[in-house]
Amino acid sequence: MLNKKPVKLLAVPALLWLGLLFVLPMLLIALLSFFKRGTYGQVVYEFTLNNYIRIWDPLYGQIFGDTLVVAILTTLLSIVCGYPLAYYISRLEKSSQQIWLLLVMIPFWINFLVRSYAWVIILRSQGVVNTILQSLGLITEPLPLLYNSGSVLLGMVYTLLPFMVLPIYVSLEQMDRRKLEAAYDLGATPWKAFWHVTLPMTKTGVVTGSILVFVSSIGMFVVPDVMGGAKSALIGNVIQNQFLSARDWPFGSALSIVLMLLSMLLILLYFRAVKAGEAKEGAA
Amino acid sequence: MKRFKSMMIGALTAVLALTAVGCSSSEQEQQVLNIYSWADNFDPEVIKDFEQKYNVKVNYDIYGSNEEMLAKIQAGASGYDLIQPSDYMVATMIQLGLLEELNKENIPNMKNIVSTFKTPPFDKENKYSLVYTWGITGIAYNKKYVKEAPTSWSDLWNEEYKGRVILLNDPREVMGMALIKNGYSNSTTNKEELEKSFADLKKMLPGVMAFDTDNIKQKMIAEEAWIGTVWSGDAAIINGQNPDVEYVIPKEGATIWADTLAIPKGAKHKDLAEKFINYLMDPEVSVKNYESIGYSNPNEQAYSLHSEEYRSNKMIFLDKADIDRAEWLVDVGDTLQEYDRYWTEMKSGR
Repeated sequence: MLNKKPVKLLAVPALLWLGLLFVLPMLLIALLSFFKRGTYGQVVYEFTLNNYIRIWDPLYGQIFGDTLVVAILTTLLSIVCGYPLAYYISRLEKSSQQIWLLLVMIPFWINFLVRSYAWVIILRSQGVVNTILQSLGLITEPLPLLYNSGSVLLGMVYTLLPFMVLPIYVSLEQMDRRKLEAAYDLGATPWKAFWHVTLPMTKTGVVTGSILVFVSSIGMFVVPDVMGGAKSALIGNVIQNQFLSARDWPFGSALSIVLMLLSMLLILLYFRAVKAGEAKEGAA
Repeated sequence: MKRFKSMMIGALTAVLALTAVGCSSSEQEQQVLNIYSWADNFDPEVIKDFEQKYNVKVNYDIYGSNEEMLAKIQAGASGYDLIQPSDYMVATMIQLGLLEELNKENIPNMKNIVSTFKTPPFDKENKYSLVYTWGITGIAYNKKYVKEAPTSWSDLWNEEYKGRVILLNDPREVMGMALIKNGYSNSTTNKEELEKSFADLKKMLPGVMAFDTDNIKQKMIAEEAWIGTVWSGDAAIINGQNPDVEYVIPKEGATIWADTLAIPKGAKHKDLAEKFINYLMDPEVSVKNYESIGYSNPNEQAYSLHSEEYRSNKMIFLDKADIDRAEWLVDVGDTLQEYDRYWTEMKSGR
């Protein structure tokens, strides 16, 4: 048996890493959000609440709203696409499972930006899809497949899908299959067995996956830029702009802090809802 | 301005790495010049020649935007001797006290610069900066789809090109264009002028295919976009790969921009940086350099030395009349917040 002290020490490198490179910059951002922007874009170290007051402009509220809608849609679509895939993989033989999991993860080996541009080449007006459809005579004019909200959503789901598939796969793997057999023995249809046994038992995977996908999509700015033609800004793009062309670091910091608090709140609510659902089920 | 030529970075780094290895033996007495600049902004051979001629070593680091460079220089002790801020950024850096005054005795070749660039509004006496590359934001259009050559910015509003218009992904450039179209200065701080121009710009929005700066060239070459706001230098590159794409500077005028050569405050090798600037402005060196990077040479003494091909390219060799009609973007101070608010509103799609 390990005694406790050395075990604690094992966490030190990670804690130092997070403390130096995550907590400290986060605190600096929080601090920065209470300062002023100087005329030439420098930070003026005078206390102000103006940055937070500016966020009440309905314009930013709308963009926060749009961002939430996109993030929630991305999460839902990822569940719809990711769950069946994870289910399928978990039912394969061990050796093919490894191949499939590898295939799910391979996109991570390629730079994110490069993958986004690959989609541009596939979807643009003289791209792969339009060229094929045109040569088959199915369309005469190229379809506008890119630079709209649909292509942004496609890009988001494509990018974040592995974050959904992997946790669901793990929870499916850990599931006690005997319970499923019991359900069948008691006369459940496959659908009923899935709904009452498999789904509740893999809830942890869905919850973990949802949070990973949701949090990643809420701050996303590359996909709307590359696949959305930079036309519909999400809050990530607005924040990026504050640090670049607007040279307003304090306002950008304030927006980041609000975004962070908002996602924390939503995750909390989500956990609550899941817990409440469990309690209800237990009572029933 | 904001050019991401990241593909070239690899090649360039390789070249510089080789040069670095070749020179390491005599490192002790050798002076080092640390450049912080845009990707692909010098002919690698010109740098090599300079290293050999003066027995020095050149390090070349790259940034992708003025703001990135500013942040690094502001943080202090960057160790750089030579930077290349764009026009408006020069003004900002002067205000923030981040640039060294140039010692003109070390740069006799600066007399070669064409008179237009001897008195730029962002640094009127060339005290801190010298124009290195420059261009004008005009209209690039594909004559296969745009049958009638555009003459005015209002052609971007033409319903026929709906969904095929591309704009630079830059608030100052786009707002500046709308301001010029409406007869105002591209750097106005007048709120009514801004409001009116923005309302006009909003009418065009449904026709815009995308905002893009880094890949605008690809979108024009691949004929995804038919018409749009493009820098003259980029237009030259597009035209080289798709001859159907032409370039015009609209009658209302346009925005002119430049990347400069400047020395950050506290540079350790200021003399050497000045020596390098002087070297770049030698007529023969400049011919080699600018034909390689494909941008407009501001060196008057070099014009006659350039190849026929380079000289006859009207996207590189812009008309004097066009240059005179063009206007610089200048820092708008606190009004930048208004520009950004409009920009965000436009991007929110409402």
